[in-house]
Amino acid sequence: MDPYSAEGELINIHNHFHQGQYQEVVDYDVSTLSSENELPARVLQLRARIALGQAEDALADVTGEKEPELQAIAALAEQALGNGDKAVGIIEKLAESAADNTTVQVVGGTVLQAAGKSEEALALLSQHQGSLDAVALIVQIHLQQNRNDLAVKEVTAARRWAQDSLLVNLAESWVGLRLGGEKYQQAFYVFEELAQAPATSSVRSLVSQAVAELHLGRTEEAQAALDQALKKEPKFAEAIANLLVLNVIAGKDGAEQKTLLEATDAQHPLLVDLAEKSDLFDKAASKYSAKVSA
Amino acid sequence: MQSASGMLTKFESKSSRAKGIAFHPKRPWILVSLHSSTIQLWDYRMGTLIDRFEEHDGPVRGVDFHKTQPLFVSGGDDYKIKVWSYQTRRCLFTLNGHLDYIRTVFFHNELPWIVSASDDQTIRIWNWQNRSLLCTMTGHNHYVMCAQFHPKDADLVVSASLDQTVRVWDISGLRKKHSAPASIYESQMNQANQQQADMFGNTDAVVKFVLEGHDRGVNWVSFHPTMPLIVSAGDDRLIKLWRMSETKAWEVDTCRGHFQNASGCLFHPHQDLILSAGEDKTIRVWDLNKRTAVHTFKRENDRFWVIAAHPEINLFAAGHDNGVMVFKLERERPASAVYQNQLFYITKEKHVKSYDLQKNVESPTLLSLKKLGSPWVPPRTLSYNPAERSVLVTSPADGGSYELINLPRDGTGAIEPTESKRGFGNSAIFVARNRFAVLNTAAQTIDIKDLQNNVTRSFKPPLGTSDIYFGGTGNLLIITPTAVHLYDVQQKKTTAELAVNGVKYVVWSNDGLYAALLSKHNVTIVTKTLEQVSTLHETIRIKSATWDDAGVLLYSTLNHVKYTLLNGDNGIVRTLDQTVYLVRVKGRNVYCLDRAAKPRILQIDPTEYRFKLALVKRNYEEMLHIIQNSSLVGQSIISYLQKKGYPEIALQFVQDPTTRFELAIECGNLEVAVEMAKQLDRPKLWTRLSAEALAHGNHSIVEMCYQKLKQFDKLSFLYLTTGDEAKLTRMAKIAEHRGDFGSRFQNALYLGEVEDRIQMFKEIDLYPLAYATAKAHGLEEECQSILEAAGLTEDELNLPTFGEPLTPPKPVVPTYKANWPTKATSQSFFEKALLGQMEGLSLEDESAAVNGVDAEVQEDGAKRDLLGDADEEEEDAGGWDMGDDVVPEIEEGLTDVNIAEAGGAGSSEADLWARNSPLAVDHAAGGSFESAMQLLNRQVGAVNFAPLKSRFLEVYQASKTYLPASAGLPPLVNYVRRTVEEADLRKVLPVIPRDLEYLAEHDLHRGYKCMKTNKLEEGVTIFKNILHSLLVNAVGSEDEVAEAKKVITAAAEYTLAMSIELERRSLGTPEAILANPELLKRNLELAAYFTIPKIEVAHRQLALSNAMTQSMRSKNYSSALSFANRIISNGDAGGALAKLLEAARRNKATCERNPHDAVEIEFDQFAEFEICAASYTPIYSGTSYEECAFDGSKYHTKYKGTVCKVCEVCEVGKHGSGLKLFA
Repeated sequence: MDPYSAEGELINIHNHFHQGQYQEVVDYDVSTLSSENELPARVLQLRARIALGQAEDALADVTGEKEPELQAIAALAEQALGNGDKAVGIIEKLAESAADNTTVQVVGGTVLQAAGKSEEALALLSQHQGSLDAVALIVQIHLQQNRNDLAVKEVTAARRWAQDSLLVNLAESWVGLRLGGEKYQQAFYVFEELAQAPATSSVRSLVSQAVAELHLGRTEEAQAALDQALKKEPKFAEAIANLLVLNVIAGKDGAEQKTLLEATDAQHPLLVDLAEKSDLFDKAASKYSAKVSA
Repeated sequence: MQSASGMLTKFESKSSRAKGIAFHPKRPWILVSLHSSTIQLWDYRMGTLIDRFEEHDGPVRGVDFHKTQPLFVSGGDDYKIKVWSYQTRRCLFTLNGHLDYIRTVFFHNELPWIVSASDDQTIRIWNWQNRSLLCTMTGHNHYVMCAQFHPKDADLVVSASLDQTVRVWDISGLRKKHSAPASIYESQMNQANQQQADMFGNTDAVVKFVLEGHDRGVNWVSFHPTMPLIVSAGDDRLIKLWRMSETKAWEVDTCRGHFQNASGCLFHPHQDLILSAGEDKTIRVWDLNKRTAVHTFKRENDRFWVIAAHPEINLFAAGHDNGVMVFKLERERPASAVYQNQLFYITKEKHVKSYDLQKNVESPTLLSLKKLGSPWVPPRTLSYNPAERSVLVTSPADGGSYELINLPRDGTGAIEPTESKRGFGNSAIFVARNRFAVLNTAAQTIDIKDLQNNVTRSFKPPLGTSDIYFGGTGNLLIITPTAVHLYDVQQKKTTAELAVNGVKYVVWSNDGLYAALLSKHNVTIVTKTLEQVSTLHETIRIKSATWDDAGVLLYSTLNHVKYTLLNGDNGIVRTLDQTVYLVRVKGRNVYCLDRAAKPRILQIDPTEYRFKLALVKRNYEEMLHIIQNSSLVGQSIISYLQKKGYPEIALQFVQDPTTRFELAIECGNLEVAVEMAKQLDRPKLWTRLSAEALAHGNHSIVEMCYQKLKQFDKLSFLYLTTGDEAKLTRMAKIAEHRGDFGSRFQNALYLGEVEDRIQMFKEIDLYPLAYATAKAHGLEEECQSILEAAGLTEDELNLPTFGEPLTPPKPVVPTYKANWPTKATSQSFFEKALLGQMEGLSLEDESAAVNGVDAEVQEDGAKRDLLGDADEEEEDAGGWDMGDDVVPEIEEGLTDVNIAEAGGAGSSEADLWARNSPLAVDHAAGGSFESAMQLLNRQVGAVNFAPLKSRFLEVYQASKTYLPASAGLPPLVNYVRRTVEEADLRKVLPVIPRDLEYLAEHDLHRGYKCMKTNKLEEGVTIFKNILHSLLVNAVGSEDEVAEAKKVITAAAEYTLAMSIELERRSLGTPEAILANPELLKRNLELAAYFTIPKIEVAHRQLALSNAMTQSMRSKNYSSALSFANRIISNGDAGGALAKLLEAARRNKATCERNPHDAVEIEFDQFAEFEICAASYTPIYSGTSYEECAFDGSKYHTKYKGTVCKVCEVCEVGKHGSGLKLFA
């Protein structure tokens, strides 16, 4: 039986993880779990700790371990610590030896994609045997590559065998936010449901809800959701980034958020992109000049 | 009974008496056999005579087309039946046998048989395949006037004779005998069934029924296609209807009405009608079920002799004394109206239905109009009122009537209207939510009625009014046979008139700015004020038209869908196999109603007209988009581009090397020309290329051409003129090698090689010349040796006197090293745009799917290989060694257009924005800054983009959100749209921060506040910011565009006003100004100019007060007086400004006592002028000035080309296409 399915032992911890409730994952009581689920639970906890910024602890925890799962976690931790090449090296090795291991696929896929090796990531992930984690990752990679069509296909296929599971809903919402139209509202419902129920609420889902609202043109509601998120975690980069976008849309000054974002995550895609575009602007603008300089 | 009017004649021919007619089953052709022995083949659609067949001797009475083969048969008074091929246009063979005139001939629908009726009292059946007579049917005892096969039942023949009978024949025996024997059993059965043999033992064809009832001879008889009915026409002037069963046949009824011999009759192929024609010059239509007359069509002078029906479509033909006419009984144009995405139409069953053009679904019947008009007359027009959800239907029946009916909310079947308002009138249309207009042509009045059907006003239209159409709000378009009037209903008068003949339909564009007037053969496009924009003529009939959203008119003719642009450029969009009535164009779909009133969707390729439209509008992005996205652009577009003077654009499309070469030569694109010439490698092309390259001064290409052409002499001369001595030497060697002495001599001459020349002369035994050459160059030794060799002495020679020996001048400049400097090849804007776009694309491709890029690279590589190979081959083929450096490398720098077409998949939504929109802001939001700048540059001459940077980045930032997805990965970027509802990626557009509404509400007011509170520096910044924000913005409608323009103007005026005042304040401290007369003058002038920009009155008062105070202080009472007067005339604006007014009154009194200026300033209070935004000096009206294309600020002409001081972005005097904020 799939341990992550509705009846499985790991359903809760797994859901916590994907709802972005990392602290709950770390605090989860694993002592009652059956022996075969111990390792997957540990993997989830380690991933949650890495997501919480405790990569060093996680790395120390898995150093010297032989299981491919834990080696993959080591790679993830390495990457979180900025050793991207080393992480990719570990994963590439694992991909040769233990490509059929779901954790290796999912964690490896994450590492590879984060290192910009989308094709390799997809190749690794495509070997999954009914893992929704892998499906979600594949969808995200497709979206990042702007292959909305492939993402839609992937979600539709997963929807057929996994029905109403959390990850499918999430992945579908991600796709929905890209497709737009009526899909915005559907995505919003998914995120809102997660964000507003105390049991499932997390900064991530709050920010997701805000993003959906932004797309629906409801700036005030988006503002409320983002404020809520920032109250929970004032240094959550995505919340700051989207607040910046929100302010710009609303015609307000976004300088404050920009400084804040620079302080929390200087490598945030928004900043990187903006700097790039700023250069592009200067370059493009330099091609024009008045016939007569004043 | 109906009047004789209203026959819808489609075609008429003039000839001698027409006795026989046949429709071609598929093509728009009709055969007419004439009394004069000719058979004519007409195209009744085009109205042209296709062919004439003249082999019969005497009148030809019967003619018929074969259903499937390219054959027809004819029979005449020469007793001959002829079978013809209309393809080879000749008679194939003649069937002889009849002994008297032949009246009719008909093909069998399936078997290879012909039935003929003759005055020899027989009916004969022939096999046209083996050209034999199968059967002679005897029985009639007078002329047989007509004999026909049954259209469905293969075993029946019916005949009519002057013996007053109609006979039905059973030819099953004949069929069984002559069709392929199916089985032995069947043939045995045939044997057994012979008991029906008649007295001559003829079992092939037996009389089944003899129908007696006519009192005179019967001229024509026809079977009903499906029912067991027969109709006959006789000299007793009666049309008789007969019915038959398996065993008997009897007369059903008689249609009385013809008052002369009835010559022909038939059943309507689809409707329960009988048509008959007679010598009383009438065609009559009868109700089959009631046997009552429905229509009578009368001709003045011509007796009708024959009538025929088209087997498929609603068309009939009748032959008379002077030719034939093709006509239909009823209009087939379904009455319809389009409102937004709803099409309302009336079906053949007189049901009102609607069709959703967005979802492509047909509604159930909304309403049944069975009771409207007469049963055989379909409604003519339908007008829809969305506010009341009601329809106005007109019917030509009963001299014209209309009915106003409310539509039910949802159709639930054929509901009879519960309540309707009716009236008489020929046309009725809605002109407002609660008003409709009714035209009565007989009385020549137009009534405007309310929804209760009460007349609210009534007026006389211009003379001869035949129809009315909606003419824009409060207006009617009144159609007369020779003109169209635009009639103002309120003023009751014609406001505009345009002479257009025979307008039948009016189609308004979706934005209501243009209307297309359709007449039979012309389309005239007019503006809403009835000014003619363009007109075009079609040789075949125009049926309908509809407007594309982009302002392209699509219209349908009988066999084409065509388009026309506003400027009159037109072309074919697609062909039609049947006539349709266009109702709407959406993208690649054309919605139309066919003749059966069924909605249909036709696929079209709008590329051509979109492209032309883009070309006309200079919308280069759109053109690029089209070029990159459509695979095929045909020959016509190329010639169009060539004709319109865009060969360089045409070049981008063409694949065919020959055409490419021609175009390249035409637009002087030598690179492409060279490439193509290499591909084709024909001497003629090289010659042309060499001439063109020579004109360009591109001698390396010229050199290559000459090499290809092996034109050694030209090549040598080229080297001489370019001073390439090394190659010239090589040319000499080659000449020597080739043994071409002329060439050798030429090269030696160019090189100044005297010895070589002498040597050559010697070689060819031209010693005298060799000697003379040597002598002329003072080579005495050589002379001696020549003399010795020739055995002569100097004395024996008689030499002319030599002048100075000639030597070619040494080259001063090594021209050959590089091409002559040419003017930078003027790349068209389009080419630049194309290149620019391609750069953009290649950038994008990096992030795009890897596959596409790979393929591209491979393709590219492959191409390069090919080119390389070709080069080598060409060198080999050259066959003569000129060293390796001869063929110039030209491959580099060639642009490969194809690259842009690959890829595409995986581009982000942001990239789509740039494609979806012609607005700079959408490009900026998509991060396509380069194209955004290009757009702004072109629209308003923007050149200094630095001030726009924050706006660009603002717009760019606003459109992207960051969605946290899987742990450990960067957030997913999504794209915020302003088109929230839209899911079609081709239509999505980005959100725009600080849109017009926001700017007008926030920033503008902040700016005003700054003015009021005297914070001018801040004010200038705010207003400039407004300008920048509006420059990169988008609005939702044309109205908003106008509003945006207003805000732009206001912001510009304020910026100018504030800048003037700031300039004044920067002159110095009051003391310093007073000390310096120059400054004092300038101070007063600037204060005065501050009052000129058109700012809000309240703010102007402040400026005026300021100017007044300054003037007073400098004792410029005259100026002060004028300011005071202006303050007073502006009146009390209330509040704090009341004080100003008071001060002004006070000052006025002071000034009037001494109205003189102490300081002479350049400010004429009475003159009209504007302020130059750069120098802050007046531009008097009448003097020339330059403008900023964006904000409209004015400049002295000397500032042309500088950056506008107001917006700080655009170049003064550069006129663009105008700022685009709405697409």
